[in-house]
Amino acid sequence: MSEIIETLQFVYGPQVANGLAIGVAVILMALGLTIIFGLLDVINMAHGEFYALGAYLGITLAARGASFWLCLALVPLIMAAIGYATERALIQRVFHSGDRHTLTLLLTFGLAIIAEDAFKLAYGPNPYKPDAPISGASELLGIVLPNYRLFLIAAGSAIILAVWLVVYRTSLGAMVRASAFDRNMASSLGVPVDRVYAGTFAFGVALAGLSGVLLAPVYSVFPTMGKDFILMAFSVVIVGGMGSIKGAVIAGLVLTQIQSISSLFISPVWSEPLVFGIMVLFLMVRPQGLAGRLGHG
Amino acid sequence: MQQLTIIAAAAAVFIAGQAQAQSTIKIGVVTPLTGTYAGIGQQVKWGIDLAVKEINDKGGVLGRKIETIYEDEEANPNVAVQKAEKLFQVSKVDFLTGTVNSGSTLAVGQVAERNNRLASTTVSFSDAITGDKCSPNMFRVNAKAGMQSAALVEWMVKEKPSPSVFYLGPDYEMGRSTVAAFKSAAEKRGAKSVGEVFAALDNKDYSPFFGQIRAARPQVLYTSVAGNDTVRFLTQLSEFGLAKGLQIVGAAGTVTAQNMGAVGKAADGYVTGAAYSAEIDTAENKKFVADFKAAWKTEPDLYGVDSYGVVYFYKTAVEKAGTTDTDKLRSAMRGLEWQTPQGKKTMRAGDHQAVQDMYAVKVVNGKFQIISKVAGEAAVGPDTCTKF
Repeated sequence: MSEIIETLQFVYGPQVANGLAIGVAVILMALGLTIIFGLLDVINMAHGEFYALGAYLGITLAARGASFWLCLALVPLIMAAIGYATERALIQRVFHSGDRHTLTLLLTFGLAIIAEDAFKLAYGPNPYKPDAPISGASELLGIVLPNYRLFLIAAGSAIILAVWLVVYRTSLGAMVRASAFDRNMASSLGVPVDRVYAGTFAFGVALAGLSGVLLAPVYSVFPTMGKDFILMAFSVVIVGGMGSIKGAVIAGLVLTQIQSISSLFISPVWSEPLVFGIMVLFLMVRPQGLAGRLGHG
Repeated sequence: MQQLTIIAAAAAVFIAGQAQAQSTIKIGVVTPLTGTYAGIGQQVKWGIDLAVKEINDKGGVLGRKIETIYEDEEANPNVAVQKAEKLFQVSKVDFLTGTVNSGSTLAVGQVAERNNRLASTTVSFSDAITGDKCSPNMFRVNAKAGMQSAALVEWMVKEKPSPSVFYLGPDYEMGRSTVAAFKSAAEKRGAKSVGEVFAALDNKDYSPFFGQIRAARPQVLYTSVAGNDTVRFLTQLSEFGLAKGLQIVGAAGTVTAQNMGAVGKAADGYVTGAAYSAEIDTAENKKFVADFKAAWKTEPDLYGVDSYGVVYFYKTAVEKAGTTDTDKLRSAMRGLEWQTPQGKKTMRAGDHQAVQDMYAVKVVNGKFQIISKVAGEAAVGPDTCTKF
């Protein structure tokens, strides 16, 4: 009996805890992606590059002397402005054509390619590793986890809660959900739909940028970092249901736990393909995902 | 009469000139002077230059001074071959050395055979060079990879008889072959293998791999990651509290002067097998380190000391043979014993591999300290060269 408890505590416990830290990070990415799809019907292939841009902005500001906490506050604001501008200047142009899905996919994909090369030109191909602002590790119930990852879990959960509150408990959120449900009706009721669209896109991009700053001390900052993360984020969005916040949270937690626990039994490099396999399975069996779409469910 | 005098004078000068030209011994050095391995090439050059200066000051070899000619191999076997051909055929060198890249060493061995000259490497450690790909014209004065892991295994089983070992290596040729080599050497001495995993080169987050390490509960962890991967792996191991009570050992290239600073405290206690340490406590080594530092303002490393040693190897062989003729020199080199700052080395006749004592070294407060020694014969392993 005590051996089972010991195994749970020493082997499974840390996997669950670490999976939680990674899960919260992935959910933050997936939230932005799913909100943008849920409202704008835009598949943002450049989401990973916005995540990378947030991380690069973070280290640039830090190099000028800003503390980690200041970066954490500033970067989402800068990213929101960039997101707003991108939506108004680029996405609006292709939004009203019949081919919207293909065109926005191509547009954002192109943006992603340009961004990755721009990062390489501006910052060089070598990775930067910013120091974690909180050092040391803590032991809870025999599970040792670095303090920064505990902070990630706490801060990430707080942000997810805040997003949920804004979308479901404020009038701003109501406007967003109304525009997603029926654009024309919302517009005739006085909702400034164009600005809501741009603002929502900006919000999603800001979330991606925030994840970038938060995760930089763990994963380092390098030009292809967006590609690494975006696949996981897409899997979460698809399994959770494209456009559903609740689905993204549940899928994010479950998928990262599967990834974490499976790495005990199979080589960790196969854990990610396992998660993608689950995503493919969902596409075949239940393409709408776990939960419904923003504004609809 | 005047014409005859001029002709005689010219002839005398010409003959004297010829005699002068024949009297230096030319050693060609093909080593990376630019590129990723330029740091290694720099130590090679420093080691050779110091030895040549010492020998020339004492009168040279058989009364002839040594002249060195350097060419840049750029750590590229194709370039090394071209430069070696040039040195043999145009500069007419008597002996070639300095190749760093194992591929370059193998290729230059064939060039030496074609030109009927001898060569030696001072850095390359692929076992094949004095193993299944040996050449009758290529020698190796430095330790090979198998000797480093032999020294490490020897120390490990003395510290912990029948240890349980977990392996983590980078997922490409070097990582897989170093883990396989150490694993087979360790298992032969009673170690129990409790797991092995391979992480992608340049992997950022090693925490997914810690699950299996925790589940296996090893006493020893062997790793062959290098460069920045080492920095991330060791610091993350320590952040997650896994380094407590775990003995971490690894390849010689895993923790080096280049990444030691970035790894910091997480490197303390790391043990590896090495063929040299500047701390070796013999009069010969202390003098060598002092002379090296005085000449080049830097401490010598493994590559510097082995390159210093190769010039003395050549000198001892030429003096024993009494000539620089290739076949007589080759016979003199086989079985030759010569003094180096690392102690006495013997050149094994069967495969042209130098046999020397090996050390286990441990990182203590950011510096490597010698913790045990393995005799040359125990470390060198069997002769697997069948070509001569």
